[in-house]
Amino acid sequence: MPRNRTVRLAVLGSSVQRTAASGYPSSRSSALKRRIIVGGLVLASLVLITVSFRSSALDGAQGTVAGILRPFEVAADRISRPFRDAVGWTHGVINAKSENKKLRQRIEILSQKVIQDESAVQENVQLKAQLRYHGPSSIRDFVKVGAAILTHPQSPIDQSVTIATGTSSGVAGGDVVVDPSTGGLVGTVDRAWSSVARVTLLTDGQSAVTATDLTYPSAIGVITRGAGGSDVLVLDSVAKSTSVGIDDTVITAGTLGKGALPFSSMFPRGIPIGSVSSASNNDVNPFKNIQVKPLVDFSSLRSVIVLVPKA
Amino acid sequence: MDGVKAGLVLFVVALLQLAVLTQYSAFRTSSIVLVALLSIALLRGSVFGAVAGFAIGLLLDSATLGTLGVSSLLLTVGGFWIGRYGETTARDRFHAPFLSVAVVTVLFAFGQLALQFLLGEPAPAGLVVQGLPLGLLLNLLLTLPVYTLVRRMFPPLELGDRVREVRLLG
Repeated sequence: MPRNRTVRLAVLGSSVQRTAASGYPSSRSSALKRRIIVGGLVLASLVLITVSFRSSALDGAQGTVAGILRPFEVAADRISRPFRDAVGWTHGVINAKSENKKLRQRIEILSQKVIQDESAVQENVQLKAQLRYHGPSSIRDFVKVGAAILTHPQSPIDQSVTIATGTSSGVAGGDVVVDPSTGGLVGTVDRAWSSVARVTLLTDGQSAVTATDLTYPSAIGVITRGAGGSDVLVLDSVAKSTSVGIDDTVITAGTLGKGALPFSSMFPRGIPIGSVSSASNNDVNPFKNIQVKPLVDFSSLRSVIVLVPKA
Repeated sequence: MDGVKAGLVLFVVALLQLAVLTQYSAFRTSSIVLVALLSIALLRGSVFGAVAGFAIGLLLDSATLGTLGVSSLLLTVGGFWIGRYGETTARDRFHAPFLSVAVVTVLFAFGQLALQFLLGEPAPAGLVVQGLPLGLLLNLLLTLPVYTLVRRMFPPLELGDRVREVRLLG
């Protein structure tokens, strides 16, 4: 054996025969136990995903747990409310002066518009009566059920909220949900349990609403989520030849019949969605490129109104 | 006793996330539940972390009325992995909680995206990547206070109570 060998060599090159690794029964069994437990939990998760995704067998249990959690969530919200109000108050005080100036200008514009609108509404009612016109359903054909939001979207992928009302109040899947402060469209009820329901927001990738430009009613298309994120919507499938103006209000188009006709909509006509922020044509897209800024601030929703069809 | 304490801590943290923090859009990219779970897993080991992850995942999925098992699967794996890290190389290392939170935050976001994609639901990768830097930053900022609190409640185990797989020779 060379004299200048290293410690590593001394160990690796040692001719001393070691006894075969007998292993530690305790560590071996604990490792096995650990693997069994984790494997079981992963398997249980996969089974839960499969069952929950493919059937409604777990809906009852899920609804019950959500119902049990509801008072805790409401309590947590109430405890945090003073802090939230304090933050809101501070923010309000800082921005009050500039906001005041903007709002005064807006009041002047809106006052003039209200007068025009009132006369238009009266005229509309008279003409409808004379023609015996039966148009698409409007918000008046629905019962309004108010509900607080229990949980907000939990991640950028998640575009749904849970609300504190359910089938016990007549709410069902497919019901339209609007914002109580602006009246703007929020989304639709995805699933409803007895005391809770899940609402899919308009910003979800699977949401699609037939909409029209209030100023140019011939511009009818489908509102979907924009590629840039949740703060932009896209009014798709509008013909290039159609006129659309910037800042025009986009509303739900609504249709006669409920789901029977092609392009029929479960949304009543006239629910505001947002305003046009850009409109352009290009050679690639066969339709007009229209971006819509939503009326509702989805990040600050506190409560909603569910429109339940009158029986 | 540790199980009850962990259950209470995670329940309170889950309520905080579900009903309070996610009201602010910035906090929808981060997760205080993940930070608390990883802190507990680091201090109490892999099996404890996996069981806690499964339970809190189930609670989150039930509360949000989402597909059951999605959060459970990701949090079980995350809790187990970081628990194992805590049992072996992470002992008494200052950077361990920060490193764990950073790595699992990224993997959790992409894991969620992959599961959404596999389930045939919308999986906007752009939104996830866009929100990731802020989520990572917030989670790292939450790590110090959350880990300090959790460490007070779950003091590190004595050497004899830890796993006995690494034996000192000589």
